[in-house]
Amino acid sequence: MTLRRRLTIAFALAVGVSAVALAAGSYFVVRHNLLRDSVTSSAKQARRNLRIAPADLPGHPQRLLDAYRGTGGDGTVVVVGGRSYSGFRVGLKQVPSELRALVKGGRLGYQRETVAGTHYLIVGSPSEGGAEIYFFFSEEGLRHELVVLRNILLAGGGILVLLAALAGAVLARQALRPVARASAAAGSLAEGLLETRLPVEGQDEFGAWAQAFNEMAAALEAKIGALSAAQARERRFTADVAHELRTPLTGLVGEASLLSEHLERLPPESRRPAELLISDIGRLRKLVEELMEISRLDAGAESVQAESVDLAALTGAILRARGWDDRVRLDAGEARVTSDPRRLERIVANLVGNALDHGEDGVAVRVGRDGSGAFVEVADRGPGIPAEHLPHLFERFYKADPARATSGSGLGLAIAQENARLLGGEIEVESEPGRGSRFTLRI
Amino acid sequence: MNEHLLLVEDDGSIREVATLGLEQAGFRVTASGDGREGLVQFRQGSFDLVLLDVMLPSLDGFEVLREIRSESRAPVVMLTARADLHDVVVGLELGADDYVTKPFELPELVARIKAVLRRSAPEPGDTVINADGLEIDPGGFTARRHGEELELTATEFRLLLELARRPKQVFTRELLLELVWNYDYLGDSRLVDAAVQRLRAKVEDDPKEPKLIRTVRGVGYRFDG
Repeated sequence: MTLRRRLTIAFALAVGVSAVALAAGSYFVVRHNLLRDSVTSSAKQARRNLRIAPADLPGHPQRLLDAYRGTGGDGTVVVVGGRSYSGFRVGLKQVPSELRALVKGGRLGYQRETVAGTHYLIVGSPSEGGAEIYFFFSEEGLRHELVVLRNILLAGGGILVLLAALAGAVLARQALRPVARASAAAGSLAEGLLETRLPVEGQDEFGAWAQAFNEMAAALEAKIGALSAAQARERRFTADVAHELRTPLTGLVGEASLLSEHLERLPPESRRPAELLISDIGRLRKLVEELMEISRLDAGAESVQAESVDLAALTGAILRARGWDDRVRLDAGEARVTSDPRRLERIVANLVGNALDHGEDGVAVRVGRDGSGAFVEVADRGPGIPAEHLPHLFERFYKADPARATSGSGLGLAIAQENARLLGGEIEVESEPGRGSRFTLRI
Repeated sequence: MNEHLLLVEDDGSIREVATLGLEQAGFRVTASGDGREGLVQFRQGSFDLVLLDVMLPSLDGFEVLREIRSESRAPVVMLTARADLHDVVVGLELGADDYVTKPFELPELVARIKAVLRRSAPEPGDTVINADGLEIDPGGFTARRHGEELELTATEFRLLLELARRPKQVFTRELLLELVWNYDYLGDSRLVDAAVQRLRAKVEDDPKEPKLIRTVRGVGYRFDG
């Protein structure tokens, strides 16, 4: 249940309970007073009636009844010498025995009794010569008033509870608006809109909270701003370094290329150094090219030239172009994708090259399509990669085995992964030490 | 053989080693270290091909290329230090025939130069193609539109010829790269797109509504003669 609904219900409940308590209290007080007043006035009337009772009562009970016609309430019963005389619809039968016992004992008494659906207050009194007189006062009017009062109170209470629920909902919504706003603000912060702030309204807890939230957001924005500025500087630096290295490297590559054609004419003592020089220039070239590529990927300057590509044919062509087709087993299934063949080539060539470097022979490439799309899987039977290295394998300059650091720059897999993501794909790795590794490009 | 190349490259080391390598590959090379000076040399001499660096003092490679294209159809290969999209596309749109990114291996450079030169060599004996007011003479290495000779570079001419030889056939970019640019493996398809744009500007009545060289979406191009 939402906090808003809980607050609404709590509010309505509190108002409801107070209303019920108040209504019930007033109802019972009013009821008690009305009934007491009824008794008082009825008793007063009874006494007045008794005072005008004629002295020869036993002889003329009917006259007495006639005398009481106007003042004797809604019915009178007179008992003289064992015989009863009554007016209107009432009779001695309706007088309760407890009341008769009281009156026979010589005392004034009253009792409430329902006769044929009508509420009566019966006041009884002894009279001259052992006679008894009972006056029936109808309380129907009183009862009706009480019913009306009860209904008014019930309806009023109901309306009050409804109003309270409504007011509670509105109040809860208003009270919780800062919470809703804050959660929306936190959401947009999470989406990267770091300039998101909350309006600070009032001096209440929510105001203080909004202030604290804003301070947090500002600190976060400043921190992330500084971090991304530092990262941008670092990337800019990498790009500049790689770019500046290019010109001398072009010279070096050309010189190495010329030198390699005349190696056998060099004196023996300079031939080996020249060979090493040529191979080191090759490594340097690879490193600089990878730095260039990763800085272009970082700058988002790389574009995707998508076209329809037959993955199997492309993989075959990549292997043939590099003279790997006799060292690698290719199991090519049907897989046509719309993607950038140049990037696919870089990825696949990198994965196969790595497999050949680390896995020696027994490299198998499988191309096909499964439930999640097209894939190129490169498996080797090399020494494998320990599990603790797997999560870092695609990080820059990460080398699972520092002792074997000579073979690559440490950027190859990072570049391959960036390229895969640029194509909307992903490279996954599984490895079992001693059994080999399996890299899978999924598109 | 002994084609004469003009190399415009500001870095002394690269200029020297490239000159050495190209000479060993059998070319005659005139080298220049400055854009303006290179342009002067181009106008004075007669060159079969120009190798042009992008970053040059006094006049950058794009400006030099613009000047060369305004007066000559000589093949131009750009040497670009930045393989980024912008440089390559600008060079191709200005009419470069191909590009090589630094650092390059000398054999790779030589292969690209030879491929471009092969394009500019006429093919004697081929029959003249006539299509929709267009007259292509492979032997004479000329093309006419409504009797008027078109100023096509070797690459543009070769592209037009390959397309027009088999009208209605759809050519993929890969196939055109192989036929025209002699890439046997994954060339840059932007070479094709830029050359097609340039070619359309010269042969179509309305280059925005091409009637002769049609684009086949997702596949490549087709000649509707």
